[in-house]
Amino acid sequence: MLGRAGSKAAGSKAAGSKSTPEEQATLESQLHRVALGDRQAFDTVYEQLAPPILGVARRVLRDPAQAEEVAQEVLVEIWRTASRFDPERGSVRAWALTMAHARAVDRVRSADAAARRDARAAELMVEPPFDQVVEAVEARLDRERVRRCMEGLTELQRQSVTLAYYGGYTYSQVAHLLNSPLGTVKTRLRDGLARLRDCLGVGG
Amino acid sequence: MDPEVHSLTGAYVCHALEPAEREAFERHLAQCPTCVQEVAELQETAALLASAAAETPPARLKAAVDAQIAVTRQIPPLVATGPAADRAAARQAAARPRRRWFTALGWGVASGLAVAVAVLGVRVGDQQNQIDQANQRSAAISTLLSAPDAHADSVNVSTGGTGIVLVSRSRDEAAITISGLVRLEPGKAYQLWMMGPSGTRSGGVLPAGTQASDSVLAHGLGDARTIGLTVEPAGGSAQPTTTPIMLLPMPA
Repeated sequence: MLGRAGSKAAGSKAAGSKSTPEEQATLESQLHRVALGDRQAFDTVYEQLAPPILGVARRVLRDPAQAEEVAQEVLVEIWRTASRFDPERGSVRAWALTMAHARAVDRVRSADAAARRDARAAELMVEPPFDQVVEAVEARLDRERVRRCMEGLTELQRQSVTLAYYGGYTYSQVAHLLNSPLGTVKTRLRDGLARLRDCLGVGG
Repeated sequence: MDPEVHSLTGAYVCHALEPAEREAFERHLAQCPTCVQEVAELQETAALLASAAAETPPARLKAAVDAQIAVTRQIPPLVATGPAADRAAARQAAARPRRRWFTALGWGVASGLAVAVAVLGVRVGDQQNQIDQANQRSAAISTLLSAPDAHADSVNVSTGGTGIVLVSRSRDEAAITISGLVRLEPGKAYQLWMMGPSGTRSGGVLPAGTQASDSVLAHGLGDARTIGLTVEPAGGSAQPTTTPIMLLPMPA
């Protein structure tokens, strides 16, 4: 009488993000079908987006259980709000991962998480831990590309982007941690990301 | 364009602004097409930072998400008003019948599924059967949801937790989902009961250690009006031996 609803593995497809135009088009058409209540299309969207959603939540929150909760919320939200996705404003991937990052950051900012912040600050400044990541080739390539492009940033750009994006800090907290003026951190976040954009070849 | 505000695009994309600044920036965005373009590009860039952190999710995440979307209504698209929009809305209403009643239950079901299942009156052992049953179960719930007389209700379990029932008399079926139960001491188990004028029948024993159940499917409701839950000795009882901690009514 026991049945494991989750016993079928959550998808064997590569977890990476080769954002080829074909893949973007596929994700978009799948999301359109999700908006019509198509569960199979949702499975495809899940396969492609669950790994980076969970990954970014875990980088920001550190705690695997909380990261899973956030990932669950975001994936259900994708199902719920699929009809509101607007392709004019960016890719499905950016839409979903912006939402995932925002939710993870909201949790970090909540009062009960405050105590964990200082410990994480020290952790973040060392080499980003890439231990529990997927082995899929595409994900490895993404990671490699991002790592290489990160190396192309100035020290202050790299630290600012890392602390703000992966660390979930406000830019004033980043300024405090790096002992730099607010305006400088603000600018470094912008020109750091812009340099990453150019290095990663994000269209514009 | 105010260069001071404009320079916040990076911090905005990283969700690194304080709430007040964020609001101010969003007001600025509404009237700054260049900023919108830049934000979009930097968001695509940030998405690659997220992808670089991808992790293989555990199978339980998929199970939890699936269980939750099964009871989550999708919101309609934003449409312009006017005759054409009315027609579109009418088409949409026709395409999604009778889901509204389900909205109130919303998010209740799925946190931390322990994936334990009792199927009423059926006990099977081997794993292939279990997988087949899981598949049959989700198909059965979809069918139940589309039944014209589908009705949902939820109650609290008095010792902690929530029970949700989805019932269709015309199909003579119900799906019961229970979550957030307290862990029982060893030797005790939760047991479901089907209660009606002609008596009380066992609805299955939840496995030891269960704190949440997958949807339990009940076929052949007969005259049962209430689904009960009691704590019994592990292995279950023929009739309830303790006071029910949940009584979940079903419409006649």
